[in-house]
Amino acid sequence: MKELFPLKQVMGFVFSLILTAVALLVYFTDMSFSVGMTVLLLTAFIQAGLQLVVFMHAGETNDKKSIYTNIYYGLLIALITIFGTLLTLIWDM
Amino acid sequence: MDFFERFAVPHPSFLIYASMVGIGLTMIAIVIGITYFKKWGYLWSEWLTTVDHKRIGIMYLLSALLMLFRGGVDAIMMRSQLALPDNTLLDSQHYNEIFTTHGVVMILFMAMPFIMFFFNFIVPLQIGARDVAFPRLNAISFWLFFMGMGLFNLSFIIGGSPDAGWTSYFPLAGNEFSSSVGTNYYMIAIQIAGIGTLLTGINFMTTILKMRAPGMTLMKMPMFTWSAFIANVIIVFAFPVLTVALAMGTMDRLFGTNFFTTVNGGMDMLWANLFWVWGHPEVYILILPAFGLYSEIISTFAKRNLYGYKSMVASMVLISLLSFFVWAHHFFTMGQGALTNSIFSITTMAIAVPTGVKIFNWLFTLWKGKIEFTTPMLYSMLFIPLFTLGGVTGVMLAMSAADYQYHNTMFLVAHFHNVIIPGVVYAMLAGLTYYWPKLFGFMLNEKLGKWTAWVLSIGFVLAFIPMYITGLDGQARRMYTYSESTGFGLLNMVSFVGAAIMAVGFVLLVYNIYYSTRYASRDISNDPWDARSLEWATHTPVPEYNFAITPQVNTTQPFWDSKKNGHQLFKGKIEKIHMPNNSGLPFIMGCFFFVFGFAMVFSMWPLVIIGLIGILACLAYRSFEKDHGRYISVEEIEETETKLRGAKQ
Amino acid sequence: MKVDNSLPLEYSTEENSLKILGFWIFLGAEIMLFATLFASYFTLVNRTGNGPTGAEIFEITPVLIETILLLTSSFTIGLGIHAMRIGNKKATMAFFFITLLLGAGFLGFEIFEFVHYVHVGATLQTSAFTAILLTTLGTHGLHVTFGFFWGLFILLQIKKRGLTRETANKSFIFSLYWHFLDVVWIFIFSFIYLKGMM
Repeated sequence: MKELFPLKQVMGFVFSLILTAVALLVYFTDMSFSVGMTVLLLTAFIQAGLQLVVFMHAGETNDKKSIYTNIYYGLLIALITIFGTLLTLIWDM
Repeated sequence: MDFFERFAVPHPSFLIYASMVGIGLTMIAIVIGITYFKKWGYLWSEWLTTVDHKRIGIMYLLSALLMLFRGGVDAIMMRSQLALPDNTLLDSQHYNEIFTTHGVVMILFMAMPFIMFFFNFIVPLQIGARDVAFPRLNAISFWLFFMGMGLFNLSFIIGGSPDAGWTSYFPLAGNEFSSSVGTNYYMIAIQIAGIGTLLTGINFMTTILKMRAPGMTLMKMPMFTWSAFIANVIIVFAFPVLTVALAMGTMDRLFGTNFFTTVNGGMDMLWANLFWVWGHPEVYILILPAFGLYSEIISTFAKRNLYGYKSMVASMVLISLLSFFVWAHHFFTMGQGALTNSIFSITTMAIAVPTGVKIFNWLFTLWKGKIEFTTPMLYSMLFIPLFTLGGVTGVMLAMSAADYQYHNTMFLVAHFHNVIIPGVVYAMLAGLTYYWPKLFGFMLNEKLGKWTAWVLSIGFVLAFIPMYITGLDGQARRMYTYSESTGFGLLNMVSFVGAAIMAVGFVLLVYNIYYSTRYASRDISNDPWDARSLEWATHTPVPEYNFAITPQVNTTQPFWDSKKNGHQLFKGKIEKIHMPNNSGLPFIMGCFFFVFGFAMVFSMWPLVIIGLIGILACLAYRSFEKDHGRYISVEEIEETETKLRGAKQ
Repeated sequence: MKVDNSLPLEYSTEENSLKILGFWIFLGAEIMLFATLFASYFTLVNRTGNGPTGAEIFEITPVLIETILLLTSSFTIGLGIHAMRIGNKKATMAFFFITLLLGAGFLGFEIFEFVHYVHVGATLQTSAFTAILLTTLGTHGLHVTFGFFWGLFILLQIKKRGLTRETANKSFIFSLYWHFLDVVWIFIFSFIYLKGMM
């Protein structure tokens, strides 16, 4: 039975629950907007990284470089799109 | 609504009725023809079910040529209408429909399948692969594209064409101002074709990353393959944006949501924003493969290795990234502040730098080369000055302050035709002429080919240079007429003459195909241009497995090295080859997509559900299917090889 | 077909490793799909027209339950892949089954949540905000629904055909998809719900 629950993944799961709990502080305590957003950004991106490395085995083959480049490239363009859109349509309108 | 009224064209004219009859008769003739010659079985087993990248490529080519002429007829009609002031050849509605379909057809259903044809036909050969990574997915891509194309063109005869411009800006494209089903066709047909394109992107990225011949590192890939790779990267990251934007537009039109309306919080500018987040990368998807083709052609006919290989690659990577940083330059006048406009102005101008690097690299490749003026080379030589002119006016447009003067004028129209025609269309024609012998085993007539290139170029200059002038003088685009007192009459007449000369050029192309098919010599070698890369190292016609033995690669031009420097391309002996099986599933799934799309356009919900169930059933079938492909035996390969060798030497 | 036995079963053939890389690239496209939805959401979030705002309609309890269900299912599918790699067919199937059950639970709560929104007058047609909210959540929900049936089909195939090169490959790719949906949910949870209720 024990072999079915590798430590790395169990720890990953526990850690992701902790991150969720930390994110929930934003709701249950009274934070300023900027502190709250910082907490959310940190917990969300760490959580995403955790899934990528621990659960999705992104770095285990020769294609490691392609996979990571692809994901980082996608993330970069995603962020450019989101912030560019907000700049154009909200912040500087 | 009455059943027939629903499907009627809302603004019929004699021309539309005549086309309906024409299309109907052609369809009947095709069906009778295929039945008479008993070709249904052949059509099904060799084409509709094929997963061979070469055949899929040829089907893309046929679609692209067909659409080139459809879009071309639209163009000629527009120029005829504007040739004279206060002309009444077309009414405003008809004119709106024509400039809309001209734009959509030329970009999405002509230029896109044309580059898909080159991806499909050339990339696997150039990297020494047997097929693409996912042959079945490749067939699905094609059929989704094809059904999207069919659906879009159907709007012409059933229900009315879209009429809100190829950009389909809201609120004009909303139900309030575009009440016919035309814009539904736009949203759904492009959605279906777009999904196909996205799948192509994934397919070719995987193919190029994983299936290169031994020895071909990334920095030893031929330049066309590099350009295809970069273009597919852009496809993968840009097309999902279009998917979302179209889905939102569809929901606005069919389900009464308020994304892009002017009430209940809707924001019409969001559509323009999302459209160009996709739209700007899209133009680089078109131009980069064109650059790749020019690189191949120029280095072949200058008999020199491509100058500045690394800077070519670096500039393309940079373009792919920058292409996502510039989209707001399409709407400098929308009302955002100076900060935003400045940022996007600067990024836009920056993109001219890597493009300039490429131009200089081509010039340096030519320098001290033994230049051979074949038709493809002639196109490339016409491309460099004409495209540079278009690029320079692009930098003018990039200046956001000055853009208030140019915005939505004929100056803009002149600019983007000036980059797309010499950039993309010439590349497609040059590439087609260059690869024609590999495709069909004979060459296109050189004399006719050169005539075509010159006639097209003269027509092009006459048609589009006057628009720069009328645009600066204030002639707005998308206006169906103008008064005599504006003084635009003469220059518009010149444009019309230019457009007519271009039409003659395209007729010459068709005549060249006909003439060469009848009279050209079939006795040509596998390498008639004395070229440099792997696609010329196999037989003509290319056997279905491409290479009997996987080639060994040493440099960026292994085939040239094998001819001149004693490099041994094919080592080892023939082994049995694993190939994918044909499948009817992609075609059937495409048909369900067509049914689904058509039903969505007319809000026929039961039929929508049937189409959707069909699509899902195809996916489920595929999940459970056991298909391990098949092997071609060594004897069979040897037999094919002997036959092909015998025929050609 | 070349078979490399030094690699895990799901990577063992050329075709298998092509599929895994291809799916990663597809996930890159999915990042952009959801990024576009997020960009639209942030643009429209304050454009509520006559409809309610996020703070007025969001409820923490169902959202938290959905989050826990999806996080746990992401953990169990990870365990499923681990069990597959040590060749334990029974455990693989059990973990797949639990994952799908949790996924179905998630969908149940999401449907409940949607019904709640409609009841409080936040329908698809109410305002730009409600439209983009329901579209973003709906797109994720449709992905989960699709994943549920996909996973079910793979489970049936493992049952019938055992852990072969094909079923292992399919299972691994499915696990990538499922983890990815979990990541997307984390962002929805953080930047739609928590930010909205902050």
